[in-house]
Amino acid sequence: MVARARRGLREELRLYLVAVTSLSVAFLCVGGALLATTNLSAAAERWGESGRLSVYLRDGARPEDVTQLRMVLEGLPEVASVQSLSSEDARGMFLEQSEVSSDLASLPAEVFPPSLEVAIAEGTPIQRVDAISERVGRFRAVSDVETYRSFFDRLGSLVTAGTNLAIVIGLLVLLCVFAVIGNTIRLAVARRRNEIEVMKLCGATDNFVRGPFVLEGTFQGAMSAVLAVLALGVLFTTVRGSIDASLAELMGTRAVFLPAWMLFAIIAAGAIAGAAGSALSLRRYLTV
Amino acid sequence: MPGMPRDPEDDEGKVVRPFAFFRAGARADARAAQRPILVFDGVYKYFREDQPTLKDVYLEVERGEFAFITGPSGAGKSTLLQLVYRKHTVDQGRILFCGRDIARLTDKSIPFLRRNLGIVFQDFKVIPHWTVFENVAVALEILAMPRRLVRSRVAEALERVGLAGRGQERTESLSGGEQQRVAVARAIVTEPALILADEPTGNLDPHLAIDILTLFEEINDTGTTVLFATHDHSLIASRDHRIISIDEGRVIEARTGLRSWGTTGVHAAVG
Repeated sequence: MVARARRGLREELRLYLVAVTSLSVAFLCVGGALLATTNLSAAAERWGESGRLSVYLRDGARPEDVTQLRMVLEGLPEVASVQSLSSEDARGMFLEQSEVSSDLASLPAEVFPPSLEVAIAEGTPIQRVDAISERVGRFRAVSDVETYRSFFDRLGSLVTAGTNLAIVIGLLVLLCVFAVIGNTIRLAVARRRNEIEVMKLCGATDNFVRGPFVLEGTFQGAMSAVLAVLALGVLFTTVRGSIDASLAELMGTRAVFLPAWMLFAIIAAGAIAGAAGSALSLRRYLTV
Repeated sequence: MPGMPRDPEDDEGKVVRPFAFFRAGARADARAAQRPILVFDGVYKYFREDQPTLKDVYLEVERGEFAFITGPSGAGKSTLLQLVYRKHTVDQGRILFCGRDIARLTDKSIPFLRRNLGIVFQDFKVIPHWTVFENVAVALEILAMPRRLVRSRVAEALERVGLAGRGQERTESLSGGEQQRVAVARAIVTEPALILADEPTGNLDPHLAIDILTLFEEINDTGTTVLFATHDHSLIASRDHRIISIDEGRVIEARTGLRSWGTTGVHAAVG
């Protein structure tokens, strides 16, 4: 069977090269989508782990109340550090980190409330952070507590949307693989109809006839996926240098490539889709 | 039909497992050797509802026989053979091959039927870009025969058809007569019980046609049953084999060839 599949690939080399090229581009799309989702997910995970709270203090809060609050916070095992930020400090940070117009630069320090910036220890569950926030909010000196929950929720939604997009693209690519491999095999079968007829008349079973074509389809699918993965790897290595610095500044993460299991899954999906596409497209040619 | 061989399994109402005995390692039914190799029993075949291609065909072919099937174009010669290798299924009646009703074969059993037949066509049906060896060997590869045995059996078959030592030539480089010999080699390499030749000389000149006919006779001499469909009157007249003539779907049989029949109605039917 392998020898007959090899002969088939050799005889229809040009046709198969065209199919493999088209399929590689399709797999490259799905690989790209997966890569984007993987990196978004990594950033979300990283940010989720490094949780923080901003505890805004009331105007005129008594220093002893603030000291007591700080002591309570520092006594919690989930709190990694507590940093006091005065109105002046907050204004300074705002002006430093934001490109603001001269109107905003003239804002007085009183507009920026003093706060305690609380770093939460890594791995703290989100429910526990919520509980701390709720408890801290009851202190007399506290006017508001910012957990950045809405930001994380939005980031989570973005990752979910990216994952869904990757799934949709993946399904479309699988359909595309089915169609392209099916049509390629159909073309090859049409050109080799005589062979099939001869084999059937000599007593070949459907599986005997189908075997080499399914192998050829499997090879095409797997080869397309391998080429796409290699191309994606080369592209990633090439652009990584330029995006790494931006990503580190923007999101505090570094660009990551697809994990090994996902690469194998892409190749396996290509092989399976190729085999199935061949098997389905052959059905009507087997009646002799 | 009186005197018709009966399939005992039919009578007992059992599920027929056709051609199981043809598979490797299975035992042949000793009673089968006593029966005609091929029996048509009241066979009808319709391609158009109002006009049957074959009508009420009764026919027996004995083991080791050589028979011409003849008749005008469109008479049903090819259909008769196609029913035997199950390209089509009978609409009425039954066809017994080695005592088994092939009309009742499941689709999965058809390959096992065909492995017991050698089929040769007018258009050769060889693969032009394959070598001569590959064209013949394919019939044995289907049987999953070991490579070494395939080589020796193919060499033997090519020798029988006069193509010894030409296995590595591409088939498209051969003449029409040689390509038909390749097809014959492929048909005989599995040593089938019955060879169906559907106008095998139709694309050949008269001289080559006689050569190919002689080749089939040599194969028949080794005990293989041959059904040879042709409308070439001169070919039929040159030999003294049994003639099965078909006209408008009906079979008119002659037990011996034209040479023994002088100027009877069979001449008219054949001509």
